[in-house]
Amino acid sequence: MRTIETEVIVIGGGATGCGVLRDCTLRGIKAVLIEKNDIASGTTGRNHGLLHSGARYAVKDLESATECINENRILKKIAWHCIEPTGGLFVTLPEDDPTYHNRLLESCKFAGIDAKEISVKKALATEPNLNPNILSAIWVPDGTIDPFRLASANILDSVERGATVLTHTEVERIMLKQNQVAGVQCYDKVAKEYFEVYAPIIVNASGVWGQHICQTAGIELKMFPSKGSMVIIDYRINNVVVNRCRVPSDGDIIVPGDTVSLIGTTSRKISYDKIDELVVDDDEIEVLLADGEKLIPNVSKARVLRAYCGVRPLVAVSGEMDGREISRGVVLIDHKERDNVQGLITIAGGKLMTYRLMAEMTTDLVAKKLGNTSRCLTHKIPLPGSEKRVGYTKKIKYFSGIPNSVVGSTHYRHGERVHNILSLQKRNYGLICECEMVTLGEVEYAIKNLKVKDLVDLRRRTRIGMGPCQGELCAYRAAGLFTEFGEFTPDTSTKLLKDFLEERFKGMKPVLWGDGLREFEFTYWIYQGLFGLGLVEEEEK
Amino acid sequence: MKFDCIIIGGGISGLTAGIRCVKEGLHTAIISSGMSALHFSSGSIDVLGYINNKVVYKPFEALDTLTGTIAQHPYAKCGKALIVEALQFFKQECETQNVYLFDNENLNHFHVTALGTLKPTYFSQRSVFNEDVYNRFKSMKKIVIVNFEGYRDFHPQLAAAQLSKHALFANCEIIAKSIDMPQLQDLTRHPHEYRSIDIARIFENEENVYRIADAIRLAAEGADFVVIPAFMGIHNFNQIHNILQSRTRLLIYEIPTLPPSILGLRIDNALKSRFAQLGGVYIAGDKVVRAESSNDVVQAVYTANHPENPLEAKFYILSTGSFFSGGMISEFNNMYEPVFKLKLHYEPERNKWYSPQFFYSNSHPFLEYGVVTDENLRPYDSKNNIIQNVYCSGAILAHYNPIREGCGSGVAISTAYKAANQIISLYKLMR
Repeated sequence: MRTIETEVIVIGGGATGCGVLRDCTLRGIKAVLIEKNDIASGTTGRNHGLLHSGARYAVKDLESATECINENRILKKIAWHCIEPTGGLFVTLPEDDPTYHNRLLESCKFAGIDAKEISVKKALATEPNLNPNILSAIWVPDGTIDPFRLASANILDSVERGATVLTHTEVERIMLKQNQVAGVQCYDKVAKEYFEVYAPIIVNASGVWGQHICQTAGIELKMFPSKGSMVIIDYRINNVVVNRCRVPSDGDIIVPGDTVSLIGTTSRKISYDKIDELVVDDDEIEVLLADGEKLIPNVSKARVLRAYCGVRPLVAVSGEMDGREISRGVVLIDHKERDNVQGLITIAGGKLMTYRLMAEMTTDLVAKKLGNTSRCLTHKIPLPGSEKRVGYTKKIKYFSGIPNSVVGSTHYRHGERVHNILSLQKRNYGLICECEMVTLGEVEYAIKNLKVKDLVDLRRRTRIGMGPCQGELCAYRAAGLFTEFGEFTPDTSTKLLKDFLEERFKGMKPVLWGDGLREFEFTYWIYQGLFGLGLVEEEEK
Repeated sequence: MKFDCIIIGGGISGLTAGIRCVKEGLHTAIISSGMSALHFSSGSIDVLGYINNKVVYKPFEALDTLTGTIAQHPYAKCGKALIVEALQFFKQECETQNVYLFDNENLNHFHVTALGTLKPTYFSQRSVFNEDVYNRFKSMKKIVIVNFEGYRDFHPQLAAAQLSKHALFANCEIIAKSIDMPQLQDLTRHPHEYRSIDIARIFENEENVYRIADAIRLAAEGADFVVIPAFMGIHNFNQIHNILQSRTRLLIYEIPTLPPSILGLRIDNALKSRFAQLGGVYIAGDKVVRAESSNDVVQAVYTANHPENPLEAKFYILSTGSFFSGGMISEFNNMYEPVFKLKLHYEPERNKWYSPQFFYSNSHPFLEYGVVTDENLRPYDSKNNIIQNVYCSGAILAHYNPIREGCGSGVAISTAYKAANQIISLYKLMR
């Protein structure tokens, strides 16, 4: 059996795991990250991509609010290519408690969040689609962040600095030697083989799946999975984040994200054995559309592109509590202290927004255990893509000959790394995905450099298939490139195509009406009717 | 404006009905809102390809099985004799415009898809299947699948791998090749304008065809067959096919591409020019927005471009297609037919419209939704009354699944023919 030896094993390729890996690597600690699916494929990739200002938490949870605003400022420096500093609004509807407005302003001041009241007229000028009947508005430094890009940039940096990343690899169990961790037994789902990784320290950063991971080491750690559902509208209906100025509840935020907008979110307690088979319920869609409509009228007349949900990894530290009540704060557990298992650390709770801080706290503990005295540098050293900040117009000049829209999109997604991707050869900038302006060169770069093992992974790295058509033509175009640029047989490429369409369909199903149904009928005609793709498996039997 | 017959919808069904009506002397108009599903089709005519997920070889024998289990199937309303007649009519009308369709003597044949799967079909254009292909089939040793460098919509290696798995090709070597032709690429401004339709236009230039032929001959050394994406011109396709074959001394055939479909475009052009040649009135880029009726008889329709001027006719054919074409509209939790507000067959609960998976053996229920008609293809209104002078044809009809049964164009043609027949005989009685 294949074995690997290292200093630290990080379980989980969400934002936190990726952040821990990078932090370790920057401190000169050898680390291996193991992720059962793909980077950012769990909770990290299933939120609304809000770069919190902290205002949302200011009234009830000052500590979280302060953490958020600090991280907000740091991320704008170290990861600008993953962020759009749109700004945000908190608006009060006629039916909302008008006193919350002042409470929010006061609390933001305490937390150090630069929030200010603006006139309704100014709010409507900033966001013309906003409900004109709002009573008041507060401007906050909210923004949007691409969680896939953020996690991927952390991975890219770590790998370039010598870390190992194993995706599509499941941790079967944690191996103990008396009361000390020895390593993990893993299963590579692509190569279909078992192997072992040895290390004196294991960081369990697997979010809601952490309960199961702990169980394999004989430790009980109770998670309270809370499902949050969101719907995506097929174009960007707002420029800035629009929050409802009230105590957090369902359907009170609309976040613009790249080419689309999202309405978030619900909060429903679910049982632990359902975390891998989550579905969006029909009534959640109704609630989100109805409440979204109150913030931005006509939301429900726009085409709904998809609905999806994620699980918040809430940990019960003491006593049992419900969804929105349970703390969303960071939970860092040294299992030596708690369970007398030396070398095991669990990091959970928190938010995407505080991933870096969580990683820092975790790595501080790791370093202490290893006797490493290096300081954390993740708040200072920019992520790959954010190294230099060169204006967009300068880039366009540099790549003259390539359409500006293509340079813009690539630069937007990959920052400075645009130089590794675009070249003046005509074929390189041929578009594969026209909705999201993904070029052949970008697909090639992702397949060769960004740990892409299937079309779904490729989607997370490039946004391929995420636009209005949901992969109608680009899925086929990209599938063939796996054979061309990677070590994939034509049969595998065809299978990846089929898997991708199935994966996309999961998010389309709950919203199949109107133009969504029309588009789906077209996609189905192409892949089943014109290509006979559904026949492939039957023939092979 | 007054007509004998107004056809709403200019796809394969509307055009077939239009040609039939105008040929019998009816003053006929077709109102079409835009490109039809033909532009996204394989360009072959499927009559009946599958029953219970099994391939059908003898479609006319299998018809009885199909209509025996689904009594309301549009084919059941047409009857076998009429279906045969309708298909022959369609074939002959295409031939008047030099689109020659190959039929495999009442048997289905297969066309190759871009992914290398084989789809059963009834008529194919001769560049897709013909007697030479059929005769040489058993002795062939090597097939070369060719793409043109820079064309994003075809991956010959995927097609080759899939095709070689098929029992029919067990003794055959199938390889993928790419032809690099800088002179062709120079003709494009941007790489993303290099679509099937752009390449088909390149083929329309005879000088280019000779260069392409030479490139194909080089790429296909030792092969019996060469397969290319359907690029061989939009207008002079017969001539281009002849030049390519004679210059390369190879059998060359076409695979339908991702949209736009050149093969579908040829049929669309043929039907439209035939309809015009016979004196039909084709109103393009307009949409019927409402109708005026009294006593279950439609008096006039109004279009978006001419909301004040009624278009009147004695008879109407509704062939506006499915959801995709706008023939039916679905909302958050209901569906309707927008022109005449006809009675639809569908499940009211939204979560029953689709199947659990994208590729599901029983396909998706919404494909079977549509207008409910009587035996003569006349629809019911919302009060369950038959509208006396309206007939429905093609994808708007309920109770069949064009993809699962592989019968989309067959139903479109047969029901169009049947609807036209009814109108023609009533029209003759009235005179």
